[in-house]
Amino acid sequence: MIIKSYQNTISSRQEFEMIKITDKIDQAVKDSGVQNGLVFVITMHTTTSIMINESLPCVEKDIELLLERLVPSDYPYTHTHMLPSYGTCSGNSPGHLKSMLGGNHCVLPIKEGKLAVGSAQDIYFVELDGLKIRTYSIQVLGE
Amino acid sequence: MKGSVSHMIIDIHLHPVMFGAICQDQARVNFRKQHFGLYKSSPVPMEQVLAVMDHAGVDKSVLLAEDFSADMGQPLVSNQEIYTLIDIAPDRFIGFASVDPRQTDAVNKLQYAFKELNLSGLKLNLSHLQMMPSDSRLGEILAMCQEYEKPVTFHSGFSWEPNSPSKYGRPILYEDIAINYPNLRFCLAHLGWPWVDETMMMVLKYPNVYTDTATVYMDSPINYYDQIFMKNMAPGWLQNNLADKIMYGSNHPRFRQVRVREGLESLPLRQDVKQKIMGENAIRFLGMGGNV
Repeated sequence: MIIKSYQNTISSRQEFEMIKITDKIDQAVKDSGVQNGLVFVITMHTTTSIMINESLPCVEKDIELLLERLVPSDYPYTHTHMLPSYGTCSGNSPGHLKSMLGGNHCVLPIKEGKLAVGSAQDIYFVELDGLKIRTYSIQVLGE
Repeated sequence: MKGSVSHMIIDIHLHPVMFGAICQDQARVNFRKQHFGLYKSSPVPMEQVLAVMDHAGVDKSVLLAEDFSADMGQPLVSNQEIYTLIDIAPDRFIGFASVDPRQTDAVNKLQYAFKELNLSGLKLNLSHLQMMPSDSRLGEILAMCQEYEKPVTFHSGFSWEPNSPSKYGRPILYEDIAINYPNLRFCLAHLGWPWVDETMMMVLKYPNVYTDTATVYMDSPINYYDQIFMKNMAPGWLQNNLADKIMYGSNHPRFRQVRVREGLESLPLRQDVKQKIMGENAIRFLGMGGNV
């Protein structure tokens, strides 16, 4: 069993941003030397998501609009106050809740040394509380 | 830069404690996090700092130094560090110095900050210094600011920082400064919350007194400013009486520049009043006229 771990950093430039990372995951799989197994992509944050979907601007926009309808920016959230443990104000409840809807990770198979994705599938790191410096981890397992 | 001078957006109150260019020493970062009460933040690369300003539509940010060296041994953010940051983006940053009035060389340090570092004003947090505004050690410092036409921002009202009693920030205690230094422009920051009425009395009465909006301690900025300006006050008070004295300030990193701006922009005010709050009042407070 081979287990390889990687971490990548992203600098988001919008409050909501779908950043395609398929190439980065593909490269990690190649670097790992794993021929058959699984790759896990996991965000290190609570106001971001990892998603798989089709890389079309209209689809990306519909995802953004759906999340905004479900979790509007202006709403009387509880997580809206000073946090003494941070020394900063909270107020990013929409990011937390959208993150819960999007999920924090994805899993994909590796076959014959390659990432096995469908032709319409791309992997996204989704920023839900930008602009921030973000990190996600890639865990490759197999043989 | 996006705005013309008259429509410029200026954040008058920003603490650059986690700006990457002055966070290369981890011990210094840890020192700032502990004493500024900013426990879970990390240094931010400068390109990200500027991207955040762009996102909020902020043309210029006033960066505040903080100096309590008499008991801390070093400034939280030094005048030299402010100078370093301005040098990175001189068209985006304006720098305020800070000195510790408890130190005997405070006046000399301030003169150096004004004359050699060309900083634009002075920041003092008397709550953290545990000094009353009537303290004689402030006299020479304030006289210098008045002589050099450099504005002063006083922390005012409630203080989030450790070991910083709020009694030293009570707005009414600054009335003698307004009287004794009539040509010294000064800002009672944070609306002086929770003594907002006292702050409004000060800015209403004294031409040289201003305040800023760096004060969202409850609710979202949209709800908070609505409560402060439209419910606690009659809806016309800000627009008809206080419009020339209130300045947009975010208190970043405690609050986000973009959220504070959204909160202020959401108020039912005339556009000309919003322009005053978002930048025109700051230009006058800073004494920069057309040279912003």
